[in-house]
Amino acid sequence: MEVTVAANPELDLSGIPRLEDIEFQTVSAKYRQLRLTTWAGFQVVLAAAWLTPLIFIKVTGDEDLSLFQAWWWPMGLQFLMGSCWFLEEWKGFPRRGYAVRERDITYRTGWLFRTTTTVPFGMIQHSELVQGPVSRWLKIKHLRLFTAGGSGNLRIAGLDEEQAETLRAILETRTRKV
Amino acid sequence: MDFHRPARQHPLGVVILAIQFLIKGVQSFWPAIVGVSLTQLDWMTLLLIPFGILLGVAWAILYYLRFTYWVEEGSIIVERGVIQRERLQVPFQKIQAINLFQGPVQQVFGLTGIQVDTAGSSGSEFKIVAMRREAAESLRLMLAEQGAAPDGTRDPGKEAMTVEAGPVDSSHAYRGRTMVDLDIARLVKVGLTQNHLRNGLLGLAVISSLVGGLEHQIESWLSGLPAPITALIAAATVLLIVPGFILMLLTGVGVSLVTTVLRYFGFHSEIGRQGVFMESGLLRRNTFQIPFDKIQLTDWRSNALQRALGFETLRIRQAQAGDAASGVGVRLAIPAMEPEHRATMEEVLYPDLDQGVVMTGRPVGRLRWLLWFAALLPGMAPFSFWSPWAAWTFMALWLPFTGWTTLKRYRSFHLTVYRDAVVLQKGWFWRQRVILKMSQLQGVEWKRHLLLERRGVGHLTFHTASGAKRFSYLDKQTGFRIRDWALNQLHVNP
Repeated sequence: MEVTVAANPELDLSGIPRLEDIEFQTVSAKYRQLRLTTWAGFQVVLAAAWLTPLIFIKVTGDEDLSLFQAWWWPMGLQFLMGSCWFLEEWKGFPRRGYAVRERDITYRTGWLFRTTTTVPFGMIQHSELVQGPVSRWLKIKHLRLFTAGGSGNLRIAGLDEEQAETLRAILETRTRKV
Repeated sequence: MDFHRPARQHPLGVVILAIQFLIKGVQSFWPAIVGVSLTQLDWMTLLLIPFGILLGVAWAILYYLRFTYWVEEGSIIVERGVIQRERLQVPFQKIQAINLFQGPVQQVFGLTGIQVDTAGSSGSEFKIVAMRREAAESLRLMLAEQGAAPDGTRDPGKEAMTVEAGPVDSSHAYRGRTMVDLDIARLVKVGLTQNHLRNGLLGLAVISSLVGGLEHQIESWLSGLPAPITALIAAATVLLIVPGFILMLLTGVGVSLVTTVLRYFGFHSEIGRQGVFMESGLLRRNTFQIPFDKIQLTDWRSNALQRALGFETLRIRQAQAGDAASGVGVRLAIPAMEPEHRATMEEVLYPDLDQGVVMTGRPVGRLRWLLWFAALLPGMAPFSFWSPWAAWTFMALWLPFTGWTTLKRYRSFHLTVYRDAVVLQKGWFWRQRVILKMSQLQGVEWKRHLLLERRGVGHLTFHTASGAKRFSYLDKQTGFRIRDWALNQLHVNP
């Protein structure tokens, strides 16, 4: 009886390109200013919401502070959340970046919650450059990449206009090539 | 059959559309209908019923007259809309699934409906509710043949086309070797092995919502009785726990059997050169043809009872419309898949599974403790309503039980990587095995928080056109190796 032997050669995994070896390009420093300004604005609005009743009590001279006792909880929560957010912005921004290889693009983000996502050019259905009024004033653009099903969609925010156009051109060339 | 000229549905479609609109109308305005029916009905209110029916029929006639479809230059075009006109153009290559269906009304008139799904935005799909069977079959055949060319998403396996699948009729690329055929005995077997606890709870929820005033009636009845008898009845309710549990289980079994029969009655499936064919359903009879290259992932599920009887359920996932998080997608299930059926499917879809394992991954030990901690939390609940000794006794039993079950669960997590496929397995009692092809991946993601990063642990997510699949608590080195391999294979196996 003839015995069929399945071909099962050993695979060399050492030659596989390693993603952690690549260098990431940072996004625009102006985007950091925008994010920090957003953070500050949000904190000011929230703090104003907590402090308004305090001022009201001071002005009216109402001695009943029983309601005020509970104020510390939301203020404390805001302080805690605000600090985490600030840390995320401050420490996380330098980590924010993208890297382009021959066949895929990788985007890295976050300090407290870190994510590294890679999308192959061949799977990009279409891309979009987004620029709102503030972004237009700061001369930055956000690049959105769409994949089938939407699960692997990617948003690379805060690119310099020139950087965004270059990246878009690279994507167009590579997507066609793949 | 010529589909190149604009055509309407079958004239009897007006009746089907009218019934559908009336049902939709009742569903949309049921609170108002219930409210009005509870008040004293006068003839003016009763006039609303024929007025509503007339409105539904008029709308159905207008919808029928303004709904046309035809085929033009590689696309199927649908024009529809009563007030707002819409022209929908679906390229053949973007079609993910073509489904023929026969609801009770279609069965009465001997007609068939056809539903076309795409992977585009959630609005880009349509239904033609009434066609003659031969016309629907011809349209489906044409759409399937024209759409066989690879589209924007990668082809998962041209090799699938070359599988030897027994005697195959060239006009039926989806028919050939019979897979699962459910006779009554098998149907009952599938029904009896469903999740009765879940179905029982669902059934009881429906029953309790239907008899909402029962509690109030019992209370008013009890208030009329002498106090000693009330106390006696209250004590006797403890005795109802066991019969109550049995009743819930029986309800569960009943619900499971009914839903299984409704869904899988007359289930028949075949595998051909280009895809899978299946038909099933009692009231609504569905016929599906799924090309191999449109299958994004396969999800094999079973519970311990099903495994003991030697079968599992296969869920086929195709590309989903719109946002993956919305969960909208084409999901089809083949129940009672026996080992030889599984071997056939895997041979066709994932031929590399036979070529040896490239690498494996298992979660780090921390996951076991997290699972145990999560399982212990419900065990705290008795402290709030039982006496301390009873709660501690319960906890003394709950602790080793959850320790044992979570150990079994922890050991069930496996990530196995092949040349072009990834297999994610989890679950001990309810087991799940997901297989996806690397050549179809839309992206790969490595995610972790700061503390996990310091311990060199993270979660690896595979993004597909039919949603994301995650393997959690993987050590960094293994995660990176698998990610690099997946990205590499994605490019070498286009």
